[in-house]
Amino acid sequence: MSGKSSAGFPRPIDSTLHGATDYTVGATLTTLFPRLAGIEGTPAARQVRTAGAIHAGYSTLTDYPLGVVKLLPYKAHLAIDAVGALALAATPFITGQFRKGRDQWLPHLALCAFELASLALSDPTGKGDYKGDVDAVRRSNMEDPHRKIHDPTPAVKAGAASSSA
Amino acid sequence: MRATVWSGRNTVQVENVPDPTILNDRDAIVKITSTAICGSDLHLYDGYIPTMKKGDILGHEFMGEIVDVGRAVSTLQVGDRVVVPFPIACGNCWACRHELYAACENSNPNAGLAEKIFGHPAAGIFGYSHLTGGYAGGQAEYARVPFADVGPIKIEDDLTDEQVLFLSDIFPTGYMGAEFCEIGGGEVIAVFGAGPVGQFAIASAVMLGAERVIAIDHVAYRLEMARNRAGATDTINLEADADVVEQLKELTGGRGPDAVIDAVGMEGEYGHGALKAAERLKQATRSETDRGPALRDAILACRPGGIVSVIGVYGGLMDKFPTGALMNKGLSIKAGQCHVQRYMKPLLDHIRAGNIDPTFVVTHRLGLDEAANGYETFKHKEDECVKVVLRP
Repeated sequence: MSGKSSAGFPRPIDSTLHGATDYTVGATLTTLFPRLAGIEGTPAARQVRTAGAIHAGYSTLTDYPLGVVKLLPYKAHLAIDAVGALALAATPFITGQFRKGRDQWLPHLALCAFELASLALSDPTGKGDYKGDVDAVRRSNMEDPHRKIHDPTPAVKAGAASSSA
Repeated sequence: MRATVWSGRNTVQVENVPDPTILNDRDAIVKITSTAICGSDLHLYDGYIPTMKKGDILGHEFMGEIVDVGRAVSTLQVGDRVVVPFPIACGNCWACRHELYAACENSNPNAGLAEKIFGHPAAGIFGYSHLTGGYAGGQAEYARVPFADVGPIKIEDDLTDEQVLFLSDIFPTGYMGAEFCEIGGGEVIAVFGAGPVGQFAIASAVMLGAERVIAIDHVAYRLEMARNRAGATDTINLEADADVVEQLKELTGGRGPDAVIDAVGMEGEYGHGALKAAERLKQATRSETDRGPALRDAILACRPGGIVSVIGVYGGLMDKFPTGALMNKGLSIKAGQCHVQRYMKPLLDHIRAGNIDPTFVVTHRLGLDEAANGYETFKHKEDECVKVVLRP
């Protein structure tokens, strides 16, 4: 079962999966993406590569399982993701390059949409599914669940409340 | 005092909050000795019941000792040991006079809100959103009990807390679900959901004389409890058995169960491929409030002329409701929040007589400070969790 967002959406992406996505996206943006998007050699390619490099850079500094130097809290990382995505989307319109054709602004918007969707599906606690401490539960539990479930003694008398009883 | 408060979706915390005080002459203050996390609390925890506010105290299954009473309460005294029913009922209105306590016309100060959603107001409920009155709940050290001269039942013998605690909700709720099935002896009853309410629905159907009781769930250990402890004669594991409607027909000679109880409600976990995915998406985007594979399959599986009993909690609207099957098979649907006050005394007598040991569902007994872990463990069905009792 996945976690849920404050807006009620399922949030199946834990911090490990988010980290894997960060590095994959960062590597793709700095290498293959400009060529695949047909923007190689243009300002748009430089902007996308810069975004990818920055993304991978602060990922290495994030306090999550795939971080290298764990300086940046995970929630701060998510906030930077959101700000960065919006900044990337705004860049072509700030520089005016959007007038040069769709390929100079559409990749930015598509990447922004991808990033925001990824954020919407990421659990901000970073813990993914079960957030409890099952060991603490077992230590403090005054019952024995296994015994209660597998005890073959019925807890109810058949027909005890029937109209003929 | 310490209390379990809702702090946002998927988050509860045990915090210090002000002690409750008598606000009305018909109030009492209960020092809580045992309280429990209910499956319907998970609908609040998961964020699917509207009008929750941060800081709301959770919990509607609790019992304890009276430590203060208002001047108009003549039925209780300081020192009495009581179990408190979850619906708050005035005892005087038309609904209460007809023993429809969960429809009390006077106990919900936010009746207008409920009326907009349900057409009529619902009774106040402890710790269950502002839609049901915004009352502080009982997962705490103390609770204020309004209309204390109507609801709480005194426990005057040496029965333990856990023998009587579930009179507050899940035992009467399960019993009412079985009673809806009009069991006269010899029927086949199917029960969707082997959580705590489902376990009591199964046990109640057995007590009422059903010949076969089929427990249905996707969690193997809960089915094991249903068979070993609650008296289920057959089980269907939704993870292992592909088509539950076909399975139920096969188990009943092709006819279908005489009655089917839905003890699952609005967050059914199983489903069928694209329909399941679409339902989850619609619920997440609030284009429907209830996803209902159990209710849908209950209607499809029930034999013609049979009864579908709905005691799982639903909050608003569900798509793809099989009206054709309902009408053309001539089914009767009976549903409702439990009118707990009606059932407490007779069920207490059954406990006293040894006809049922309600403690069988308790798999976890924790201190109140472990409430957050208790919610997570219960929600994710970790550690073979069926029912969590908290001791303040």
